[in-house]
Amino acid sequence: MTQKYDVVVIGGGHNGLVNAAYLARAGKKVLVLERRHVLGGAAVTEEVFPGFKFSVCSYVVSLLRPEIIRELDLPRHGLEILPLDGTFTPMPNGDYLWRVNDHARTRREIARHSRLDAEAYDEYGKAMIEMAHFVKPIMSMTPPDPTTLDPKGWKNLAFLGRRFQKLSDDDKYNQVQLMTMSAVDFLDQWFETDVLKATMSASGIIGTFLGVRSPGTAYVLLHHYMGEIDGAFRSWGFARGGTGAISNAIGDAAREAGVEIRTEAPIASIMLKNGRAVGVVLENGDEIRADVVSSSVDPRLTFMKMIGEQHLPDDFCADLKRYKYRGSSGKVNLALDGLPDFKAMPGPGAHLRGAVSISPSVEYMERAYDEAKYGRFSRRPYIDMVIPSLTDPSVAPPGKHVMSCFVQYAPYNLKEGNWDQKRDEFGDTVVDTIAEHAPNIRELIRDRQVLTPLDLERDFGLSEGNIFQGELTLEQLFFLRPAPGWAQYRTPIKGLYMCGSATHPGGGIMGAPGRNGALQLLRDWKRFV
Amino acid sequence: MRYDVVIIGGGHNGLVAACYLAKGGLKTLVLERRDVVGGGAELDHATGPFSPQIITDLNLRVELITPKVRVLALSDDGRSLCIYNDDVGATVKEIEKFSAKDAKSYPEFVESFARIGRVLAPLLSMTPPSIDQPSKADVWQLGKVGLSFRKLGKKDEYRLLRWGPMAVADLVAEWFETELLRATVAARGIHGAFAGPWSAGTSLGLLWQAAMDGSAIGSSTFVKGGMSALAQALGDAAKSAGAEIRTVAEVARIEDGKVVLRGGEEIEARAVVSNADPRTTFLKLVDPVELDPNFLLKMRNYRAPGAVAKINLTLSGSLSFKGVDDEAKLSGRIHIGPEIDYLERAFDASKYGEFSREPYLDIAIPSPDVMSIHAQFAPYKLKEGDWNTRREELADVVVDRISQYAPNLKDLIVARHVITPLDLEQTYGLSGGHIHHGEQTIDQFFTFRPLIGWAQYRTPLKRLYLCGAGTHPGGGLTGLPGANAAREIARDFKAGKL
Repeated sequence: MTQKYDVVVIGGGHNGLVNAAYLARAGKKVLVLERRHVLGGAAVTEEVFPGFKFSVCSYVVSLLRPEIIRELDLPRHGLEILPLDGTFTPMPNGDYLWRVNDHARTRREIARHSRLDAEAYDEYGKAMIEMAHFVKPIMSMTPPDPTTLDPKGWKNLAFLGRRFQKLSDDDKYNQVQLMTMSAVDFLDQWFETDVLKATMSASGIIGTFLGVRSPGTAYVLLHHYMGEIDGAFRSWGFARGGTGAISNAIGDAAREAGVEIRTEAPIASIMLKNGRAVGVVLENGDEIRADVVSSSVDPRLTFMKMIGEQHLPDDFCADLKRYKYRGSSGKVNLALDGLPDFKAMPGPGAHLRGAVSISPSVEYMERAYDEAKYGRFSRRPYIDMVIPSLTDPSVAPPGKHVMSCFVQYAPYNLKEGNWDQKRDEFGDTVVDTIAEHAPNIRELIRDRQVLTPLDLERDFGLSEGNIFQGELTLEQLFFLRPAPGWAQYRTPIKGLYMCGSATHPGGGIMGAPGRNGALQLLRDWKRFV
Repeated sequence: MRYDVVIIGGGHNGLVAACYLAKGGLKTLVLERRDVVGGGAELDHATGPFSPQIITDLNLRVELITPKVRVLALSDDGRSLCIYNDDVGATVKEIEKFSAKDAKSYPEFVESFARIGRVLAPLLSMTPPSIDQPSKADVWQLGKVGLSFRKLGKKDEYRLLRWGPMAVADLVAEWFETELLRATVAARGIHGAFAGPWSAGTSLGLLWQAAMDGSAIGSSTFVKGGMSALAQALGDAAKSAGAEIRTVAEVARIEDGKVVLRGGEEIEARAVVSNADPRTTFLKLVDPVELDPNFLLKMRNYRAPGAVAKINLTLSGSLSFKGVDDEAKLSGRIHIGPEIDYLERAFDASKYGEFSREPYLDIAIPSPDVMSIHAQFAPYKLKEGDWNTRREELADVVVDRISQYAPNLKDLIVARHVITPLDLEQTYGLSGGHIHHGEQTIDQFFTFRPLIGWAQYRTPLKRLYLCGAGTHPGGGLTGLPGANAAREIARDFKAGKL
């Protein structure tokens, strides 16, 4: 049997759903095809153990573009963000660093470590918000191609140039440094407290195969000041019901706009006719025809698996092969009988409601990276933990808790052995690391789910387990993402578009790639009818 | 006694600037702290290469020698890989010993960088444009570069855009599969830098090298008679152009329109030009009250963490290297650092304040009885002990390493001279012991060198200019910073600003 749509969207992750919603709102007949039984891709909530609901992969929300929340009216579709209050960093010497959303308290806390840093912290915050404002419009822009004379592209570049010129000298200086420096080099200029720099720099390496001292990581610090829940910069939160609730809200918005969504519909290939995409073939053999195919999965799956090199230009294939995934992180989800008891701050308390970061020193972070460089997972990894059940009891049985631990580094390519053999060893390493700070964790664990980069690839279709569908490094950003010359959401295959995190502006639960991709496709629409 | 121009530091850039300014009829004085001119030039065994344009402009009596061999890479399995300066065919034969695939891609690699180098070359000798109000000349200059960029063709255009911020380890992996070849090419990206091949932005070093002499691989252009001959020639040229040179004249302070020597002597000048590195100039020589605190803060944050030590050996006879069939192959540079991971590990140590137990070594044997060794990584800040107590320990590590390739080395050593990062600072006045007067990362490059807004060789002080490697186009014995600075200074004199 065959059916005909205007657009078929590959992948029901948050970007695919956003993409579909915007296309449908523009009057297109859209079908979304999701391989798994649940929507959301990596933004998904699953009851991994009876009664325990986990945000299996992505676990906090901040970057979701406000215009998308607004335009798709997500709150009406059930999106509710609960605040994630602060970051608690236990230290081996029994001390800790605890930053909260209450600015005055955070300032006092930092002053406890260094008065100078407490003052610098305000300046830093102001500067970063300035920078974030500068970068914001870039997020919703289709990147220009500097090698063509297309006036539209040049208008965008000129626009950026003028904005940059208008910045104050200090902001120019900061912006240049942010785009190029390492997180630690950048923070060294502001702060002296090691644990503060370590914890802040951590946000610079999440999801990349870089260390806190690697140039290019400062940029991601900014990324994290762009999180704006309710328009307030630098605020993080959970979705009630877990991250999957975000995908479900977007899904509802999409359905309301007329989008048809099918789960458990894995795609075998993209149908081509005289070099043009005309639909998809499901693994069960069904053919679905469409004027345009919009893929939210990463380029390796889209082009190498669903199309095949023989149908693609050589240069483009070479670029795709060069495109770096290099998953570097894993996820450990724990079902707990109670709350972890941290030596640095015993007993339950507000510090458990925020993120708990195992990042005691810059050297700790850098050494964790050094191991990964040579193909081993970190013996003492950086861990970012949250316990959503404290803020949102609906995700765990009464008195029980779910704790999700983001772990770095876990290189996709191991020098010795493979991830199927090392999975448990990796899980143990994570638990041991936590136990050094919260010894009671071992007794609390009822069940544990360990997701290695290999699992992220197999179960969630993230090539090499990269959570951003490709590293966020300078040479893979903006007009170079995912491939030079193909950063405008178009592809060498007529009628095939991209709308996933592998396109500008990249990963995180932002939705911007899905939205930008849809708007670009709509601008190009006449080409296809 | 009043001069038009007083230049602080008789290093090669200071002397080049002196030559141009004196030729332009300005009364010029060069003040050198040490008893010889040349500054850090003598630390390097190969030039950048030194700008041929400057040699003709100043008709320097100096002979550049470019041997057949660019670099000879040694590997632990006793094999060696010889890369020639011009003879691509011969190099391809060498690479074939390791990989037919790499041998096939090498010519395209050479071509691509040559093309890109031609496009970037004009940038070297131009004054970086101002971002706030680019002058017509700036726009014109950049326009020309932009046009030649277009002529590159999409493939190379994209390469240029991608490579700039890339980790050099990734770049070489895109071209080659042989670790030895990868490491040898990548070495240019980390030479003199506080970075490993996996550090993003290290590809810049290869692009810059290509701009200087059309090849991505570090140059092996030597000076006949050694670097002292270059210093000599520059000194002579400066004098014959009418400049005065005073050695053993250490500047203690820079004030508006004058310098004060240690010992109190004051010398007035309409323009003071500092060939010292930016940190030394602004944090040591200028009174802080003269500078805007904000500028000072940025200058304190200017990164110059030295990571290089220099070791000179005097030998009693000629060395024999394992796996090197032909003496002639030792005529270029010799590279020790067989794998990317080896280079990265060498860097790892320095991140934690240790010097590499297995260092990356760049060696030259200018004459059979002399061996000049550039050793990385040796961080300026050591976690344990200090360089005065650990100097010989470092030298032993280096000598041992080389002995693994040249077993008879130890018997031949007559004398050894170890220059640690601390010596580089104390003897040569290089702040932080950084041989390039500061890291050459994107944030300290071109219009951002030394600081954004101050890349035109001018400074916040009206009569103070910079002409050293801390300005565009940076370190590496080209003489270009000095020449570019002289052009701007002469311009300001003409405009009556001084």
